[in-house]
Parts: sequence; structure tokens; C-alpha cells
Amino acid sequence: MSSFELTYDGANLQKENTVLEVAGLKKSFGGLVVTDDVSLAIESGSITGMIGPNGAGKSTLFNQISGFYDPDDGTVEVNGTDVTGKQPNKIVQEGLLRTFQTPRRLEKMTVREAMLVGAQSQLGESILPLWISGAEVTREERANLERAMELLEFFEIDHLATEPTTSLSGGQMKLLALARALMAEPDILLLDEPVAGINPTLVNQIAGFIEELNQEQGYTFFIIEHDIEFLMGLAEEVIVLNQGRVLLEGTPETVQSDERVINAYLGDM
Amino acid sequence: MNVTIPKTDHELGSTSVVLLGLIVLLGLAILTGALTVSYATYLIALSGMYVLLALGLNVQWGYGGIINFAVVAFWGLGAYVAALATARTSPLGLEWHPLFALVVAIIFSVIAAILVGLPAIRLRADYLAIATLGFSEIFRLLVANETHITAGMAGLAGIPSVLEDLPFDTVTTNLLVVAVAGALVFLFLRRIHRSPWGRVMQIIKADEDLAESLGKNAFSFKMQTFVLGCVIMTIAGVYYAHFIGYVDPTDLDPLETFFVWVAVILGGSGSNRGAVVGAFILVAVLEGTRFLTDFSIFAALSTGPLRLLIVGVLIVLIMRFKPEGLYPPRDELIWPKSQTDTEGQS
Ligand SMILES: Nc1ncnc2c1ncn2[C@@H]1O[C@H](COP(=O)(O)OP(=O)(O)OP(=O)(O)O)[C@@H](O)[C@H]1O
Ligand SMILES: [Mg+2]
Repeated sequence: MSSFELTYDGANLQKENTVLEVAGLKKSFGGLVVTDDVSLAIESGSITGMIGPNGAGKSTLFNQISGFYDPDDGTVEVNGTDVTGKQPNKIVQEGLLRTFQTPRRLEKMTVREAMLVGAQSQLGESILPLWISGAEVTREERANLERAMELLEFFEIDHLATEPTTSLSGGQMKLLALARALMAEPDILLLDEPVAGINPTLVNQIAGFIEELNQEQGYTFFIIEHDIEFLMGLAEEVIVLNQGRVLLEGTPETVQSDERVINAYLGDM
Repeated sequence: MNVTIPKTDHELGSTSVVLLGLIVLLGLAILTGALTVSYATYLIALSGMYVLLALGLNVQWGYGGIINFAVVAFWGLGAYVAALATARTSPLGLEWHPLFALVVAIIFSVIAAILVGLPAIRLRADYLAIATLGFSEIFRLLVANETHITAGMAGLAGIPSVLEDLPFDTVTTNLLVVAVAGALVFLFLRRIHRSPWGRVMQIIKADEDLAESLGKNAFSFKMQTFVLGCVIMTIAGVYYAHFIGYVDPTDLDPLETFFVWVAVILGGSGSNRGAVVGAFILVAVLEGTRFLTDFSIFAALSTGPLRLLIVGVLIVLIMRFKPEGLYPPRDELIWPKSQTDTEGQS
């Protein structure tokens, strides 16, 4: 088995290009304003962190960006295309993929089956080609299987390939979600708390994986995480969200030492 | 070097055992004189129809987690289109060729499935349950009351049987027809199920949001399965009309929908062979209860309630001891050819 190969190189070419641009996003549930005039831009090839207290609206922001919620106001652009209000699956096709904060159940699927679903625009996902282009479907499926195994090896969970996903630990589920997201070769990956509830060793390991994917393959990440230490070594820029508003934006160091951040996190309880 | 891909094992053994068991049971029944040969043939031909129905519902519920409480309506659509288009007694007086009627029935089925599915499939599962149940009852009432078109409660008799030229009696011919239809549908479904398409359906069933987050258009996939399943049910209805030669609105009893659900759940949702086995067991139970009233302890009961009682007990037993059904799906939904004849396989 050769080492994990570079199969994606779009991001490098687009370096310094804005891959995600959010302008004036606003969302409220009933009377509760959850995100309020949030604007941000993410450069291709970067790692951006987002922190903020529980209930700050971080996940809600991701949900609006990825099409799961319709924003009340504002716009979302992916690679220069306006995707505001589009269906989640359409936004994936524009190159933006997100993971979920809470692990998603996947009954009865094996790890490699779950991986294969991540691959985009598969010919075999339409009924007709299964009958008229069988050989091509076979080729495609074989290539996807190989890529799935490569990714599982990269994340060091290839020994679980044929295990049911229900037998995975919480940490392994997080790795699977990350590996599956990469099957889609997205231009930008939104990770919602990728290391929440994970032991410190694996946290460091995941940080290493993300760093390698970013450095070696140019993947762009936008990561929500409470673990500021985790983001410290990883992100070039951290956005602080508080009560639905961007409180501050800067390097991890400036953010960490900012008084308002300390206050927001400790709250005034 | 190539990635070694573990293989899934294939055995069709136990399915054949159950089916063989049922055939042996039938054989015994014939030998002991409890059943006549022609009645036994009739039972298998009838089972074939339920196999089609269960396969159709399994596509919807088993593959994609889509609730359809209008199984009997889509089946009835097939039966009624076939009857109206081909029967001598049809008020429409068309007397088409059965094959032509089949095509028309399928077209109607697709249209009806889209009309029912379009507004409801996007919504939560319970809305589809209500929408399909509503459609089923509306269809039954229309058929019963639009007498000038459907002949109403009088029913439609004189539906021609098919392939009269074959050197068999009518029941045997029907058995052959349904065996071929069942096998074709089974093979068709098997191919599309163990594929990227089937895999997307499975992830939609497990978690629709996750499917969307991975770029799958859940609505489109669910619509496809819904329509496909309905078409299979309609084919079963067309077959029934030509098989029995008579339809009337009492055939559209929602209880039939329930029975098909029982077959799918019994067999194991999501498994094609489970649907096949479930259908055979269902007919064995439904028809077998007829004979129970011969025994003195059941003599006081009428067949209808007894039948329901036994079906109910069966469901409880399955839920208690084998909640996944007799044959839960076992294959990985990976295109089989991509795993065989790989160069790197060791
Ligand atoms: N669908 C919804 N309906 C009503 N309220 C919602 C909905 N989604 C989110 N909220 C509310 O929006 C607020 C922000 O939630 P969100 O999940 O975005 O927070 P978060 O910053 O991700 O917090 P955490 O760090 O705990 O994950 C919460 O008060 C939550 O109750
Ligand atoms: Mg959150």
C-alpha cells in the first residue's frame, strides 16, 4: 500500500481565494435571535477556528451555511456562487461539506459502506446506468473503494472497514465522519466540534491529521471547537461568536488573551 | 499493490430451506388429501402475487424507510385498469390486449405515486402515512361509487386470462406468469439494491440529514423508491385481475395493506429474500386458518377473526424473538462486481 496519495489539488491553485463568504447572516427562533449579522470570509487553504460559549449560535451558523436552516437575512457564497437558501445537497455540490456536532447513527452499515456514500456524483447512484453502464459502475465503485481504504488507513481505522458502524467508539465515529467527508473532496470542510468528548491522545492525533490534510493537500477547514488548546496549534485565525454576534477575530494568541473572551467564556454567573 | 478488499459471503441456503419446507408441507397436504393439486397450485400462484407486493413494499419501507399505507390501492389500480381495459363486462368496452393494459396501468401508477408523493414525501414520515392512507380510502370509495366507470359494487367479471395458448390449465399458466414476473422483479431489485443507489437509500433511511449533508438529494431518491415500489404493486394487481378474472371494491380492503406489511416485517425489512419468504408464510397463515375451523376447539370461531388473531400472535412472536425479521438484510450494499475479479485480491 502506497502512502496516502494526493488526489485533490484544487485548493492549492486557489490559494488566497475566498472559498466561503458569509454576509450579514441573521436567524431567530421565535423571539430569540440566534445569529445576528454574522459576516466572515474564509480563504482557500486556511484553517479557521470558531469558539464561543454554549448556545452562542455556532451550530446554527453552520446550519445556515450548509443549507439546513434558511437564514432570515444575509447571504452565503461558496466559491463565488450564491448558495443562500439552497438545499444542503446542492451546497455540497458547490464544494462545501459539513460534519455534525452529535454523531449520526448509521444502523446496519459497515464502515466502508458509510465511507462510500461520501463519494460525489457517482454514476451508480442512478438506476439506469446500473443496467446500461455496468462496467463503468464497477470501475467507479472499485476506485471509490480504494480511496475509502486509503482514507481509512490514513486515519488508522482501516482494520474496522468491514465492521458495522454501530460497533465504533465515539472517537472512531468522529474519525469516520472526517474520513467520509474527505471522500467528497470538498473545497471547504466545516467541522462542528470534531474532538468534543475525545481523549487527549486522540485529540492530538486528530489535530495532526487535520494539519497534514491542510499542509500536504491544501484542504480548507472551518472548525467549531470549545477546546481552545486544540485550535491554538492549528488555526491561523479564530473567530469568537458570542450571543449570535462576532465578538472578535484574530490569531489564537490574541483571542486567548482577550479579556472579553475570558468574560464571555466564564460568563457573569 | 492493491488494497485488499474483504469479501462478503453468499449463501442462499436457509431461504431455500424455508421455501422447501413450505413446499413439503403443501406436498404432504396433497398426499393426505387435505388439499387438491389444483388448490395447491392456486395457493402458490397467489403467494406469487404477495411476493410481488412484499417486494414492492420492501423497496419503500425496507430500502428507504418510506411508509406506504396504500399498498392495496396501488395494487387495486393495477387490478382495475387491467379489468376495465380488458374485461368483456367493462363499462368502458375497450377490450385491449392485456400487455397494453399493463403498460397503461404502470403509467397510471407512476402518475398516482407522484401525485401522492410530491406533497407528502418532503414532510415527515407520519404525513406520508396519513396521505397514503387517505389516498387508499379515496381510491376505494371512487371505485365503489363511480358506477358508470367501474361498475361499482357489482364488480367486473370476465377478465380474460393470459397466455391461453400454453398447454397448461389456467392456474398453472398463472403460476408460471407470476414466477417469471417475481423472478424478474427480484433480480431487478437485487441489482439496484446492492449498488451505490441502494446505499444512498440506506443512508436516507438511517438519517436523512446525514444523506443531505453528503450531497444526496433525499427527496429525489425517496421519490424514486416510492414510485418504483408502487409500480411493482400495480404489476401485482394486473396479475391478480387476470389470475382471478374478477374484481370488486371489497378487494380494496385496507386490511390487505396490513397483510403486506406483516409479510415484509416478518421476512425482515430491507431484505428481498425476506420479502419473498414473508409473503409465502403470510399466504400459508391466511389460507391455513381456513382449515383450522375444522378442528373442534376453533369451530366456534369464524375464519376472519381467527385469521387476524393468528397474524397478531405471529407479529408479537416475531417482535419478541426476532425483531429484525426472519431474514434481516445481510449483504453490504457494495456493487458486487467491484469486489470480485479484482487483480489485487489475495
Ligand atoms: N431549530 C431550533 N429551534 C429553536 N431554537 C433553536 C434551534 N436551533 C438552535 N436553537 C437555539 O439557538 C441557540 C444556539 O444554538 P446552537 O446550537 O447554535 O449553539 P452552539 O453555539 O452550537 O452551542 P454549543 O456549543 O452548545 O453547541 C440555542 O439557544 C438553541 O436553543
Ligand atoms: Mg453547537
